[in-house]
Amino acid sequence: MAVTCARCGTQNPDGNQFCQACGTPLAVAASQPGFASPPATALPGPPPGPPPGAYQSPYYSPSAVGPQPPVHRTPWVLIISAIVVLVVLMAGCGTAFAVLGSRANNNGSAGILPSPSPAGSPSPVATPTPTTPGGTVSNKGESFTLPGGWTVASKDDESISVTNPDGDGSVTVGSGVSDPAQTAQDNKATIDKFFKDKYPDTKACPGSKTTTGSLNGAQGIFWEVCFTLSAGGQSIQAGAPLFAGANSDGSVYYVVLLLTSQSNLKSFIAETAPVLQSIHWNLT
Amino acid sequence: MQCDHCAQDVPDGVFCTRCGAHQGTTEEFGNAKLREHRYAAHPGEHVAQPSVITTLFPHLGHNKIHEFRWAFTAGLAGVLVLYLAGLITAAILVSAFLVPVLYLIYLYEAQVYRDEPATILGFTLGGGIIVGIVVTILGRAIYNPFDYQVNPLGNPGVSIGALLVVGLVMPVVQEVLKAVPAFFLPNRADFPETVDGLVFGVAAGLGFSLAEGLIGFSSALTTLPAHVAPGNWIYDLATLAVLQPLLQGSATGMVVATIWRYRRGRLAGREIGGVAMAVIAHIAFAGGTLVLKDSAVNPLAILIWQAVVVGALLIYIRYLLHHALLEEAAHMGFAETVCPSCHTHIVASGFCPNCGMALTAAPNAIKRSRRPRKDPAATPSGRS
Repeated sequence: MAVTCARCGTQNPDGNQFCQACGTPLAVAASQPGFASPPATALPGPPPGPPPGAYQSPYYSPSAVGPQPPVHRTPWVLIISAIVVLVVLMAGCGTAFAVLGSRANNNGSAGILPSPSPAGSPSPVATPTPTTPGGTVSNKGESFTLPGGWTVASKDDESISVTNPDGDGSVTVGSGVSDPAQTAQDNKATIDKFFKDKYPDTKACPGSKTTTGSLNGAQGIFWEVCFTLSAGGQSIQAGAPLFAGANSDGSVYYVVLLLTSQSNLKSFIAETAPVLQSIHWNLT
Repeated sequence: MQCDHCAQDVPDGVFCTRCGAHQGTTEEFGNAKLREHRYAAHPGEHVAQPSVITTLFPHLGHNKIHEFRWAFTAGLAGVLVLYLAGLITAAILVSAFLVPVLYLIYLYEAQVYRDEPATILGFTLGGGIIVGIVVTILGRAIYNPFDYQVNPLGNPGVSIGALLVVGLVMPVVQEVLKAVPAFFLPNRADFPETVDGLVFGVAAGLGFSLAEGLIGFSSALTTLPAHVAPGNWIYDLATLAVLQPLLQGSATGMVVATIWRYRRGRLAGREIGGVAMAVIAHIAFAGGTLVLKDSAVNPLAILIWQAVVVGALLIYIRYLLHHALLEEAAHMGFAETVCPSCHTHIVASGFCPNCGMALTAAPNAIKRSRRPRKDPAATPSGRS
């Protein structure tokens, strides 16, 4: 027998405890002829159990006859613990990763620094790589031979930047007038400050040394910096072997900068040998 | 009582359980029917409040929200401790995994996937990881930082080529591809609500972010020694742990939520604006970051810029979800339940009459005793 809701008049099937149209408890509504004020919808105690039989709501009903499944709750201790475990686990993995990685890098990078030549030696790199000549590039300050496949990325009156065929490294050669005059040490300090400002984590590469020598006739300082190069969502550990020099009265500066990833330093230095050996300084 | 707005007879309450309108208010809170002062998924907040947890974790009840906030805070504290200790590789790993793991716990807590965790997690989180690996590796092949930073000694300047690739092409391609796994979810018809689409999209976006972060920082992970001076790593860690996953998750969540709305036959300016907002926000995030970095701006300013973009995206998601919940919950029938927000035992239709929470955003355990609604509008024009 259908039960009529005293509030809205909807016919509800037997067994419904609440009106399927307006939600009024049917027992309460039925006991209140001329129902005017519905009971508060916030029930004071736990909700009654599921009504016997299928709930006849036009949209929702109990999914199955029988006890409702227990409400799923993840204890807060478990949630916090999961994150703490994540931190500890990843800390362990990260440290192990770094230890193993640096051990492998150390094994593979022995002697990666460009060997600064003693004064008078023609080149900072010992082993030239045979390449197909790609022509000569020059400006007011310097000129050098470009091996085949290398490209000029930028060039102005004082500096020339070229990239290797794989695009994973570059060489910048620069020379010009210093006004006021600066020593090689002054030029090195200027370059160090520039790197520190632009890449705050710049530091001397592990195991590298600062030495003096000459590069194709220019007296100066060799050293190597490592820093993080972030761009386009990538974070690359870059390495830059550097040379900064000056002529005898400090009126001309000489700079050579190699840039590549730290893991590629050794092979890149070998690759740049023909470029470095062919540098001719136009200003003396 | 009779609702002030839909004029239906509804049980007494502060909110209409049928349409969610705030009863007895006029204009002091703005439009009482749209009730933007009471966010439908978490009525204690305004729609325009850029809260991370209540936006991207919409099924959490009142207490659970605080527990997840504490868990997130604990994770960030862990990152900070590792950073201060100089364990940068460990800090990178924790940062990359933090939000995705937190979301996995959320999916388990809310049981959004109901009885099909493998399918749902595979197509959302797993699909996002696969797309992330493929897209990021291809992106690295296209964009080589050494091509654009040939001479670090040169004057700061923005490379137009890099800006086009990193700031325009990559964000658009990513936004298209990140939504693909969720789009092809085989049992999507079982999850018709917009809030389901949002959660699936966020999961896919976080999977993508995890893959992108790990590949992007692979050089640091394989090169850095175990212990280094912390330096300025905190900025990159903040982006990796918080801002990048929130951007990727929010943007994909917005796009997938819009696809879900379209499948229900509801595609209006708000939804189209959502897709546009996701793409524009991603472009602004990636392009702005590149320009600011190339201009040698203070890293803190870059973080602020990223946070502003993510905040704007979160607010738009709340706006979209709020209106979707108001529309979709209005068709629910009556049932007894416990409001996950105010914990009151109620007899309600689509909204808690006590606090106004849209009950379609309740955790699955609370909805489990109800059968899926027979809403003709759910499958318009044969779409599913």
